[in-house]
Amino acid sequence: MFSTLLQNLFNALQWGSFYSMIALGYCLVYGVLRLINFAHGDIFMMACYFAFFIASWFLGNLAGMPGPIIFGLTMILTMVATSGLGLFIERVAYRPLRKKGAHRLYVVITALMLGFILENGNLAVLGASSRRFPDMFGKIVFQFAGVSLTNYKIIVIVTAVLAFALLNLIVNSTKIGMAMRAVSYDKFAIPLMGIPLNRIITFTFILGSSLAAVAGILFGMSYPVLDPYMGMIIGWKAFIAAVVGGIGDIKGAFLGGFILGFIEIIVVAFFPSSYKDLIAFVILLVILSVKPTGFFGVAKSTKI
Amino acid sequence: MMLEVKDLKVKYGNIEALHGLSFNIDRGEIVTLIGSNGAGKTSTLLSLSRLPQPDAPKVIEGDILFDGESILGTEPHLLVQNQMMVLVPEGRHIFGNLSVMENLELASYPVRNDTQFIGETKDQIFSLFPRLYERRKQRSESLSGGEQQMLAVGRALMTGCKFIMLDEPSMGLAPVLMYEMFRALKELNKKGITILVVEQNAKVALDFASRGYVLDTGEIIAEGTSEELSANKDVQKAYLGG
Ligand SMILES: Nc1ncnc2c1ncn2[C@@H]1O[C@H](COP(=O)(O)OP(=O)(O)OP(=O)(O)O)[C@@H](O)[C@H]1O
Ligand SMILES: [Mg+2]
Repeated sequence: MFSTLLQNLFNALQWGSFYSMIALGYCLVYGVLRLINFAHGDIFMMACYFAFFIASWFLGNLAGMPGPIIFGLTMILTMVATSGLGLFIERVAYRPLRKKGAHRLYVVITALMLGFILENGNLAVLGASSRRFPDMFGKIVFQFAGVSLTNYKIIVIVTAVLAFALLNLIVNSTKIGMAMRAVSYDKFAIPLMGIPLNRIITFTFILGSSLAAVAGILFGMSYPVLDPYMGMIIGWKAFIAAVVGGIGDIKGAFLGGFILGFIEIIVVAFFPSSYKDLIAFVILLVILSVKPTGFFGVAKSTKI
Repeated sequence: MMLEVKDLKVKYGNIEALHGLSFNIDRGEIVTLIGSNGAGKTSTLLSLSRLPQPDAPKVIEGDILFDGESILGTEPHLLVQNQMMVLVPEGRHIFGNLSVMENLELASYPVRNDTQFIGETKDQIFSLFPRLYERRKQRSESLSGGEQQMLAVGRALMTGCKFIMLDEPSMGLAPVLMYEMFRALKELNKKGITILVVEQNAKVALDFASRGYVLDTGEIIAEGTSEELSANKDVQKAYLGG
């Protein structure tokens, strides 16, 4: 009984980590631009593919390298590539709309369409067959007290917590983080302080995309089958998790991811797994209807 | 001339808000633009600050020259970064989720490498507005309207710009605070800050400024020194209560 509980706890933390890292990306862009970046789930999907190609290349060409170094290099390059994609989307799709003062409806629709374009672009270029993510360093299974825990799971959870700690530090203790918080409160006055608004937006997209990149590699390692539509459901779930936790605040989005992770695992422990999403979302709906600002939602004005 | 506005016409969408304004300001002056609701005062300042649409109207004719050079193509943050001019906007627009101190620090972005200037300016702001010092660690959302206005002026000073435009700094202030504000602005002017202030309250504005322009539905209908304008029969009737 206790071992089942512990096993479920680790699974919940692992899935919570994935949701949280993706949820933070929604939260950051929403905070700064008031834009729900519906393409973010597909940016995560693309990150998985970037990581797949980068890791495969390293494993093919630097065969002697120790796994952790390949992992580290893959991480950095995937973050760069995914940030590039995020910035490209910002530049060619969102910025022109912003410049024209387009209604938010058009911006949200644009985000949705970008998601489809990424999915189908990937399908067109790489074909329908799904790919297997390479194993960068061997999976080690630890057995204790009837619980099996892999080194991968530990890496996922530790990385998610570290990534959040770093993000929290950036947002709350640096100059650019202060500017991000200011933008989330009042965009209008930012240029009046001599601050280039676009630079802050660029930085925000880099942060959100990098988090998606980290999530992408770790997800690929943990669930190695990649397909172009893998980002859709997980992206929506992470978005819902962000809102339930309180999209107004990075802490809310982060914890929201874990709330969803826990709910899902608990539901699976007691019901047939086909009930998982049904019951999980009913619970989330109830949480939202009780607390429409999100679980950790604070006053309306704070948005990061 | 430091600032020259020439035949400025601006539009919001299809609606023309200014129909060819011309005025100018020299270094060290205090100039006021007075006019009633909807006259185009805010539109004028927003046009000068070069904010993008839809925050500001679009300039369709005329020119804005700073030290003889057109700034029509200049991005708004560059006007501040290059220490040309800064706007204290209508409604203050302080960053309510940041503390008073953080608001000031953020505004020091254009002079971020000049720690001496930053330190001196903070001291100057706190001696002009001691209330801000008392509340320096407070979330600025929780300040009173008057204190927020002081913070907005403080922020403008922190940018290092020597030309400050203020959009109705007296709005919502009790008379005591309003006089405190104008006294502080006068003191700043003595230290070399050029001021363009927009006001509905013509009496206060003309007492404060040395020169003024009267704006009515997008056009300048009178101009002159404060004494001339205060003595002008039409101005008296429309703006000074007879
Ligand atoms: N965003 C906008 N869109 C369309 N028209 C606008 C907009 N802002 C102002 N106007 C119009 O432009 C004209 C001038 O407005 P402006 O805000 O400049 O006046 P003002 O002198 O600042 O008035 P107040 O004293 O009330 O602040 C008004 O007729 C107003 O209706
Ligand atoms: Mg106005």
